[in-house]
Amino acid sequence: MHFVWFWTFWHWSKEGFRRGSLLRKPLHGIGSHWDEWFSHEASASDLQAIEEAGKTESTQRKFIAWMIRCWARENDWPTPDMVSRFVLGQLASVPPFDKWQALESYRTSYGLTGISAIVLEAESAGNAADVRPVQALLLPADGASEIVPDGFQAGSNELETVRCAARSLLRGKGLLIFLALWAVGGHRPYSRRLRLGLGLAWLAVIGSILFLVLGPEPGEWLIPWSATMLALWSGLVLLAVTVAAWQGVRAWRQGISWSRLLERSQVRMRMPGGLTLQGESAGLPFCLNTLLALGRAPRSTRPSWLWQRVIHGLRSEAETWAATGVVTAAGYLKPVVLEAKLRACLNHPGIQDVLTPHQRDGGQPAVERIADAIASTAGLDAPITPFVSGTRFGFAAEKRALRNHACRHVAASLMAFGKLADKWQVGASIVALITSMIMVMALPDLRSILRPHPAPVAVEPGSPSPYDLWVSLDTDHPEYFSAVLESSYWSNRRAEVRRYGGVIPSVRAEIHLHRLVGRAAANDENGTIWIERRRRFLNREYLPGERVGRYSIAYLTHIGRE
Amino acid sequence: MNTETSIEQLLRWRLAQAEADAPPAPRAARLLALSRPWWESWPEQFQSLVERLGKIQIAFGHAMAEPQPARVGHPVPALLVRPVETVETSVRVLYLDVRDGRLRFRFQSEKPFGSEQKSLDVTFVCEKSQSPIATAQASLSVDNEYRLDAVISEQLSRAWEQLRVTDRMPFRLILRTE
Repeated sequence: MHFVWFWTFWHWSKEGFRRGSLLRKPLHGIGSHWDEWFSHEASASDLQAIEEAGKTESTQRKFIAWMIRCWARENDWPTPDMVSRFVLGQLASVPPFDKWQALESYRTSYGLTGISAIVLEAESAGNAADVRPVQALLLPADGASEIVPDGFQAGSNELETVRCAARSLLRGKGLLIFLALWAVGGHRPYSRRLRLGLGLAWLAVIGSILFLVLGPEPGEWLIPWSATMLALWSGLVLLAVTVAAWQGVRAWRQGISWSRLLERSQVRMRMPGGLTLQGESAGLPFCLNTLLALGRAPRSTRPSWLWQRVIHGLRSEAETWAATGVVTAAGYLKPVVLEAKLRACLNHPGIQDVLTPHQRDGGQPAVERIADAIASTAGLDAPITPFVSGTRFGFAAEKRALRNHACRHVAASLMAFGKLADKWQVGASIVALITSMIMVMALPDLRSILRPHPAPVAVEPGSPSPYDLWVSLDTDHPEYFSAVLESSYWSNRRAEVRRYGGVIPSVRAEIHLHRLVGRAAANDENGTIWIERRRRFLNREYLPGERVGRYSIAYLTHIGRE
Repeated sequence: MNTETSIEQLLRWRLAQAEADAPPAPRAARLLALSRPWWESWPEQFQSLVERLGKIQIAFGHAMAEPQPARVGHPVPALLVRPVETVETSVRVLYLDVRDGRLRFRFQSEKPFGSEQKSLDVTFVCEKSQSPIATAQASLSVDNEYRLDAVISEQLSRAWEQLRVTDRMPFRLILRTE
């Protein structure tokens, strides 16, 4: 067994906690527990072994590797990598580890990247040093789940609000807002070819609609054309809805899993400088770093595509991002003092993107204005060089490029990190939405073309007037039928079937009877009434469809009277 | 240079000179005064501090929506006595171990001290009788924690042996800076 002395210490610490002589759990108080054990409890052989382990940088590194690879994993913690980083960070500042060269990097950092917070020092106008790196670690909770400040002082209420905002993003209203933002204008998990294919398919649907509304009479092609268009549109909508729902469900399930982990964890938020925070503008970076820490936790299953994009963005670009904003428990961002913070970002050479709340004095114009001001003063501050005859100077101070991402909600900042915002997708969504609305409006028409309604039967009431002929039909879809009078006595007429109210309500076609010139009165029952299907698409009416009924004038005038 | 003076004479001369330059040995009364604890040397100051310490009331009303950490312990009222001011505070007991007549004690102030104090003179004052029961030097450790290791009386050792960090402490503290 390697490093028995560390196991001895660890068991002393566990036993001390169990016995009630130590207040904090062995892991959470490991720095001070070690200090006690090393000062008072370690045996001579332990001290000898510790000295051996710290003799050279190589032996020190062996201990570090053992801590990360063996010790942390043997304790069955959900986040062994972060636990080992925390332990090494705590031990690095106590004897004899404070003299170990190999632990140098752990004294100031957990060795993780994080989104920087912009916290201004008192009376600072915005210096590079005000952009402070933040790192978050997940440890098993010591009692209730909480965010513990490390290297700074902050109110517990402020940090609790940050935790609530993170939880909302994982399984609450925040997640719904994130999914809604993504559904409207978020990048989809499609390959380029599929994207192109889907775009063409939507164009085909739009083209079909235009053809049916404005094009020539389709004749016998109406049914296949309508069927193809409907199938294509249905497929596209089904695919879009299925993909959105599937990704939403997976993101929600992942969020639930992370939320449970958060409930069981203590988040150690490290920000160097020993500041006592006044104000809550570091809430946004704290919230994002909490999500990043959750994303770093080992997973048994593949995370959802959406969260994978977000976490990948957070991990890979954290060093070049800074954030500021007061975050509410629901994840909304409240305005902060921006000018000095933007100046701090512009003065920091490593920051390329900054997340800010959406506010009147913010946005990219504010960044450009401050960048211009810095560039103009940079020329004035340039050192004076001795003048050499014939030399002409041109001050060309380079303007810093800084992208500002103004957000109303933390969910919007996740969209920015995941590079999920897609202008083409926004356009495509709008086009798809309008097309779908048109298709929904046209669905009854398409239904009557592709699956015609049952042929109606003539029923009472008949017309009370001898000058009119009523063709009452037992149908719920009068708009898809018309009545045609063909007679050699009466002038031929076509009448739409409508729903009439009034004294005698019914669904009928009213044909005003107009005798042709020179016809004898004895032939007034000469004529046939045909019931025809009407084929229409939106406001376009095509040539009449099949005839589905045939009645004599005598039958219709006497119906209901016998 | 006179070579007739022997080494012995030379040493005697040097000794006589050193004795003449050395400060006078303290009197027995002075030595007794130095060995006395500070509360006996300045009883009025101690009395006023104890009165102030006794007035510090710390009591928590548990009205949390969520469970608190498993162990919070009971804060121990403390007075931080500096040359310019005296500040009321409370400390969290992180480690308490009484064995073989030794007290090992580790604590952290609930409110951070304004300036870093490398060491503190810690006086344990009995909660009930308000009398001083022990004193020791505490040194600064990690995370603004202080630790002390002191020999205590057998009586105290027996009384505190069963004490746990989560128990209400039978003492209050006066923390004096150097």
